[in-house]
Amino acid sequence: MSTEPVTDDDTERKKNRYHFDRHTPEYRQRFTDVTAEMLDKCPVAWSDTYEGHWVAAGHSEVFELARSAEYLSNDHDPANERRGYKGISIPTPDVGFRGGFLEMDPPEQRHYRQLLNPYLSPAAVARWTPLVDEVIRASLNEKIETGRIDFVDDLANIAPAVLTLAMLGVPLKSWDIYCEPVHASVYTPPNSPDIARIQQSRMAMREDMSGQLARITANPRPGMISALAGAEINGTTPPEFELLGVIALIIGGGFDTTTALTSHALEWLSQHPGERAKLSAERGTLLDSATEEFLRFYTPAPGDGRTVTADCEIAGQQFKEGERVWLSWAMSNRDPEVFPDPNEVDLARTGNRHHSFGLGIHRCIGSNVARMVFKRMLIAVLDRMPDYVCDPAAAEHYQTIGIIQGMKHLPATFTPGPRIGDGLAETITRMQVVCDDQRLAEPVTVRKGAAEIK
Amino acid sequence: MKLHVDPERCQGHTLCAMIAPDVFTLDDVDGHSSAVDGAVPADQEAKAAEAIRSCPEQAISIIQ
Repeated sequence: MSTEPVTDDDTERKKNRYHFDRHTPEYRQRFTDVTAEMLDKCPVAWSDTYEGHWVAAGHSEVFELARSAEYLSNDHDPANERRGYKGISIPTPDVGFRGGFLEMDPPEQRHYRQLLNPYLSPAAVARWTPLVDEVIRASLNEKIETGRIDFVDDLANIAPAVLTLAMLGVPLKSWDIYCEPVHASVYTPPNSPDIARIQQSRMAMREDMSGQLARITANPRPGMISALAGAEINGTTPPEFELLGVIALIIGGGFDTTTALTSHALEWLSQHPGERAKLSAERGTLLDSATEEFLRFYTPAPGDGRTVTADCEIAGQQFKEGERVWLSWAMSNRDPEVFPDPNEVDLARTGNRHHSFGLGIHRCIGSNVARMVFKRMLIAVLDRMPDYVCDPAAAEHYQTIGIIQGMKHLPATFTPGPRIGDGLAETITRMQVVCDDQRLAEPVTVRKGAAEIK
Repeated sequence: MKLHVDPERCQGHTLCAMIAPDVFTLDDVDGHSSAVDGAVPADQEAKAAEAIRSCPEQAISIIQ
């Protein structure tokens, strides 16, 4: 035991202070200024908000912290069976369960990722491209002759939802049971008059999810739910609520984030028609870098919380066990030390070490899905609606960017064009047959070939 | 120029293979990267350097 006198070193340790509240509309409005100020004066700061927590904004500080899994825990332990840690949300939401493996530590977390990697690796995801193209084509068909579209409702909400369900092994036609509650529960404030209705649709989603898990457990069919239903984690079969948490994580991660990225990118390209024409003409060289740049600039998932597991010093800051830390991917993505002109969108940016998929062992497991679906949606719009113009007065952004930096609506007009092939309902029915006949949702270790669309 | 991808650091972000597909191979199962055996072809060195710079985990090093 140390014989040194105990001193209260908090004044010194917390000398960099910043009142940080990312859940207010002001934070969204002042994001660029707040970010510049924190990066300049206090890349790691103590904030008095939400019972007090650290906020990491600097790129190198976030880099070091996110990769220090030995000192930073993701664990969410609502039943206080371990250390009572509070997971990745600050403040802790009022739910009694963990958010899947994003709120677990190794080795448990690693077991789940190893189980799901063969469904989500680049090779696994590439197999789905022909099916995604069909869903996108059909979604655009529904609007192409009218000259009007809401890019959120009519495109960016649909393709990620249908693909995520297909990969899980859930019937594709159920996508609309899942779509609204997933998005609305992110953007609806708890005091909204709409909250009762949203909670009802969330209940319906949860019931469907639980039913799917039970059905697939009884009668296995290809997909991630089947893998989870048969999983042995640390030698035991996880209870139903734990598996539902994992499925909800995959759905939550798969839907709203890609929608958010796509709508913001389409809005920016409408505001910059010259850049849009260049991106379309030079897509072979620009599409990858443009995608990474939209990811950096709009950071759909703006950060993650952690809990410090032992007194330690990381990135020059001393932390104490039990303290909460917010890792801001969004602010670190604007650090001028790493990104010249960080507040400008440069579609050809190089050295783009952005943090939009997180870092370290919790890197977004769906990153390959997000990139593929985003690119296919973007290209389809550039091909079929090249002159679209978004209506700035009707574009509706989420009021706050504390959880997801997203959009509710993005209406646009364009020169009408011809339908190509069938509509959305018919296409989803056909794609279900393709999924079932070709067993597309098998892991890449079982099935290597891409979907064949006849 | 010979490269090494540290398997402990690589988390499968895939940027290296996106930038320099002839230099890096991604594992089918988890998407983690490995560099080509032997020297990077001279005409690929600039792309390889850009991949090193872009790696979010800074997992790629020049070993020779």
